[in-house]
Amino acid sequence: MTSPQKVRQVGVDLQDSEETRPLLEAIEQDNPGANVSRMPGLVKIQKPGELVIRRETVEDRMGREWETHEFQVSIVSYSGNIAVWDDDEIVIKWEH
Amino acid sequence: MAYELRTNVIEPERNTFDYLVERFGDRPATRYQEASFNVQPKEHFHYRPTWDPDHEIYDPDYTALKLTDPYSYTDPRQYYYTPYVAHAAERYESFAQTLKYIEDRRLLDKMPENWHTVLTGFLLPLRHYEQGAQMLLTNANRFGYGTTVTQAPGFAAFDRIGNAQMLSLIGLALAGGAADTLEDAKKNWLFAPHQQGLRRMIEELLVERDWAVGLIGLDLLDDQLYPLLYEHLDERALFRNAGPYSLLARHFHDWYSQHRKWLNALLKAWTADPQHAEANKKTLGDIVARWYPQACEAVATFAHGVADQAGSVSIVGAAERGFAETLASLSKAGIPAPTEGAASA
Repeated sequence: MTSPQKVRQVGVDLQDSEETRPLLEAIEQDNPGANVSRMPGLVKIQKPGELVIRRETVEDRMGREWETHEFQVSIVSYSGNIAVWDDDEIVIKWEH
Repeated sequence: MAYELRTNVIEPERNTFDYLVERFGDRPATRYQEASFNVQPKEHFHYRPTWDPDHEIYDPDYTALKLTDPYSYTDPRQYYYTPYVAHAAERYESFAQTLKYIEDRRLLDKMPENWHTVLTGFLLPLRHYEQGAQMLLTNANRFGYGTTVTQAPGFAAFDRIGNAQMLSLIGLALAGGAADTLEDAKKNWLFAPHQQGLRRMIEELLVERDWAVGLIGLDLLDDQLYPLLYEHLDERALFRNAGPYSLLARHFHDWYSQHRKWLNALLKAWTADPQHAEANKKTLGDIVARWYPQACEAVATFAHGVADQAGSVSIVGAAERGFAETLASLSKAGIPAPTEGAASA
């Protein structure tokens, strides 16, 4: 293929609830340029290339300790490949 | 017959209240924001209080410490009614489980005698200390200004009643369900010499007009007592076969670390205020200079009591280290330290 490679979107869909709101704010803060669209009961966050969720930012927003595995409770769906999922951050991106 | 299923998106008329839109932009607000911001009544106070005609019924001037915008302070835990109540219930539940475990296994009976003295002679009387703390915090809740500021001490006041109840439950467990230990505890609080420093300071703080003086003065005591009782003695208890003390202390220690969060944030809001920072630092410095020596002395008297009656060799030293730690945490918060050295114990 000769056309310049298009940067593909990655994204997560979260439940729209009181618990996920600080999470959403943290993702917005750590991922400038992310596109957030709200649907009934659902928030879609999309960004070209890479999306990162940092534990520290989330904890700041929530005012309590937060472990990255708690992220699973809020996810409805995601697009991309989960490249990193450790104690401090989750990175979703396309690697190939 | 064919059905066609369609989703029908209803756009909400508005995301949230106008004043939250002004503050945070046009986006859905959190419950904490909706329950806390701009809730403080500010106008149409028809009558001034008969007991204080110089002030409105809600007035920022009930304290010398000022915030340009009272809502510049937010509780890092973001407590409003629901999460607070859920959290408090959880805390009580976990304490009750610990106590049940201790009672089922009759662990209190197996504790060394001098640790019984620590519990009955020193810890249980502090249920009255907790009650005093509850009143001081309720006073801050009533006379403070701005809901984000006042709700935090309001919740803390309920926590203190919770702490007093937890101490009472320990007392009941010690006496096999009878109230004897609690009656003794009250006599101790009123008459035992080593409790009088604490009682005097709490009672003097209760008659302070400025609610923030009560809050800071109480904190000067808490900041020394909690680490002493629930960290230092907790550690010693494990060394000295007094496991149940440690099991119980954990709950108070955990609470205190949560409690510090909102208080540290409030101190920071006062000392970092865009207009009043310097004046606030000076006022805070004056409050600390006035009360810190008395707090140290009260805690030292208390620690000497534990040393004399329960034979603890390390507690007086731990209390003295606590004096310095409190000073260090104050200066970290930007509050000038009192000029003379720590009160000698």
